Amino acid sequence: MKIAANRLRSTCTLQATARLAPKVCAACATDQSRRFSSLKRPPPNYPGHVPLTRVERAGLAIGSGVMSLINPYRHDLIAALGEATATPYFIYRLRDAMLADPTGRRILRQRPRISSKTLSVEKLRQMPPNSVGRAYIDWLDREGVSPDTRSQVRYIDDEECAYVMQRYRECHDFFHAVTGLPIVKEGEVALKAFEFANTLIPMTGLSMLAVGTMKAQERSRFWSIYMPWAVRNGVRSKEVINVFWEEELERDVDDLRRELGIEQPPDLRTIRKREREERKRMKEMQSHQR
Amino acid sequence: MAATRVLGSTPSICRACTRVSKPMARRGYATMSNDIYDVICVGGGPAGLSLLAALRANPVTSNLRVALIEAQDLTKSSVLSLPPSKFSNRCSSLTPYSAQFLNSIGAWSHLQRDRIQAYQEMQVWDGVTGARIEFDWPTQGTEKTIAYMTENLNLTSGLLGRIRELGGVDIFENSKVEQIQLGEETEEMDLRSWPVVQLSNGKTLTARLLVGADGANSPVRSFAGIESRGWDYGRHGVVATLELEGEGWGGEYTKTAYQRFLPTGPVAMLPMPGNFATLVWSTTPANAALLKRLAPKDFIAVVNAAFRLSPVDLAYMHSQNEGQDEEYQWRMQHTQTNPRMLPQAVVGVQEGTVASFPLKFRHADTYIGERVALVGDAAHTIHPLAGQGLNQGQADVQSLVGAIEYAVSHGQDLGTQMWLESYNSERYAANHVLMGVCDKLHKLYSVESGPLVPLRSMGLKAVNALGPLKGFLMAQASGSGAKVI
Repeated sequence: MKIAANRLRSTCTLQATARLAPKVCAACATDQSRRFSSLKRPPPNYPGHVPLTRVERAGLAIGSGVMSLINPYRHDLIAALGEATATPYFIYRLRDAMLADPTGRRILRQRPRISSKTLSVEKLRQMPPNSVGRAYIDWLDREGVSPDTRSQVRYIDDEECAYVMQRYRECHDFFHAVTGLPIVKEGEVALKAFEFANTLIPMTGLSMLAVGTMKAQERSRFWSIYMPWAVRNGVRSKEVINVFWEEELERDVDDLRRELGIEQPPDLRTIRKREREERKRMKEMQSHQR
Repeated sequence: MAATRVLGSTPSICRACTRVSKPMARRGYATMSNDIYDVICVGGGPAGLSLLAALRANPVTSNLRVALIEAQDLTKSSVLSLPPSKFSNRCSSLTPYSAQFLNSIGAWSHLQRDRIQAYQEMQVWDGVTGARIEFDWPTQGTEKTIAYMTENLNLTSGLLGRIRELGGVDIFENSKVEQIQLGEETEEMDLRSWPVVQLSNGKTLTARLLVGADGANSPVRSFAGIESRGWDYGRHGVVATLELEGEGWGGEYTKTAYQRFLPTGPVAMLPMPGNFATLVWSTTPANAALLKRLAPKDFIAVVNAAFRLSPVDLAYMHSQNEGQDEEYQWRMQHTQTNPRMLPQAVVGVQEGTVASFPLKFRHADTYIGERVALVGDAAHTIHPLAGQGLNQGQADVQSLVGAIEYAVSHGQDLGTQMWLESYNSERYAANHVLMGVCDKLHKLYSVESGPLVPLRSMGLKAVNALGPLKGFLMAQASGSGAKVI
């Protein structure tokens, strides 16, 4: 009986071995183990998980990409684009970057979440002036936003990688605070360029296409100032996904910037305000001349 | 071959070489000894013992006067006194070809058969991508063994048992080789081309043929002026005897060997009788040092992780001094594995068996000199990833015995290079190719990222799917294939 079982195993497992090969890590491990049709989906791996077929994933990527270019206020489509394009390779690489770092490992173990529930706004306002927490709340107030719950990750199959994506999404506002970039399109695109250089998430790279929808003045500013800044800082700084923000709240923000290797770009809101004022003055001069 | 017998039972020292046959030369313990032997084998490891057992067992060469010189105490290796649930940590994989040779010289029956484990299947996979190749003999016909896992002590004690059974070998144990020189010309004999070995206890032995089976730093090889070239791998092989949670997925009669290629080096788990297995893990010296000082619980966790977790997790576990057990439990919750394609979990490690040895690649320029021959590790050192080192030594011995047999049966001086040449030509190229292949495999799988990784995985999957090619490679590795080189 054992011999028969062994023969069966030899003939049947040659193809099965490739499909059921243990999925161990990033680089080239493609998850070939789940070929299913939309009529018969496998059970979810975590609450809210929606397994997608390859065609569905491609469709989601294209559709959300096009629509978020047309209407950049659709943050849910940007999120979906990020999830649809994260596999193969890129989200696994990011997860491995977290596993390689001791702090990143701690984050993966403890799975902290950032929301208005877990971060108390009053406590942040009371923090010392140049601390990370204070910089964060000051930026939130300046931009008029709150640490609202970002959309939940739904389309990433691996449960741990889904958390990595969620963590990235929730830390996005902290990246804004540390770099000082505003939430206008120009600021967001500059920050996405920085994130692409640092985390290699494809959606952040695809967001560069939004440069085509910016005004000429903004575009020239982007190419001359913010793109070089983003590439220089994103590449040479440490992985920002590995920062345990909840523990760094009381730390001096310049100290953190120095440790991470991030320099602040020229303040975009000031530049835009100056530009608006100059344009107003030019208009006034022209109307005076008439 | 025609049944040729050496004349009578006189010592077969060619009459032309000696003017007067001194009666004293027959006794091995005379004080002013100028003991002359036909074959002196320096080194009592598997290769040397195999050579002597083969020479004594072969009717053509059984009247040669032979001696064994061994620096250590042979009685230590001659009695395998370990209980059935404890195994020595130095084990080797004997191919069916080597086992057949040992049987033909009558040594196989002296091995403790219940301490040898035959295995029928081999699973080899890439640690970075998971690409896998499965080796088992095709389903037609009866199940065939791929190789036999044997403790080295079992092998040497079995060979010694056979030598003692046959008798006729002068054994000089606990004797180090102090010096090897060429002999002198006296009125009676001209020994200027004969090697003379001086032992630590003062005896001098003269050899018609001096065989170096004395390991990688062979004094015989340096005496012969033969260079050994190669490089160090910068890796250590960590060995241990492990206890698994069961007898293997195939049960008692279908055992499987597992090997995973990690970027730091391959880790292999080879089955032993019962629930036991032996570990051979080629890894960096720093990792080897860590593995040797870990507590058993953490060591077991790292070994289990080596077959299951990603290289990133393994690198982290190698940076911890303790706590790998807990780390392993956590990571296993987030790693998908198919247990049937992995070895069963390790639950225990035999105390005192975690050890390591440096890995290197060496090949002597030639295996023969004037009245000198090299076999085994003295001639070549190979990476252990394919389990071929000891088998190469056994094949060397088989070939050398064939060359000696031919010379003796044709009434020639067996020590001259002309009659040893067939041994060199038969074995040199074959060994070189095998060592080269193992070396390139090691280098190929040391790459952790980049374009080479998917290419090698595609190649491995392709070989896995090509039945005839896989069968050819398996036959070559087991020694039963067509002679290509």
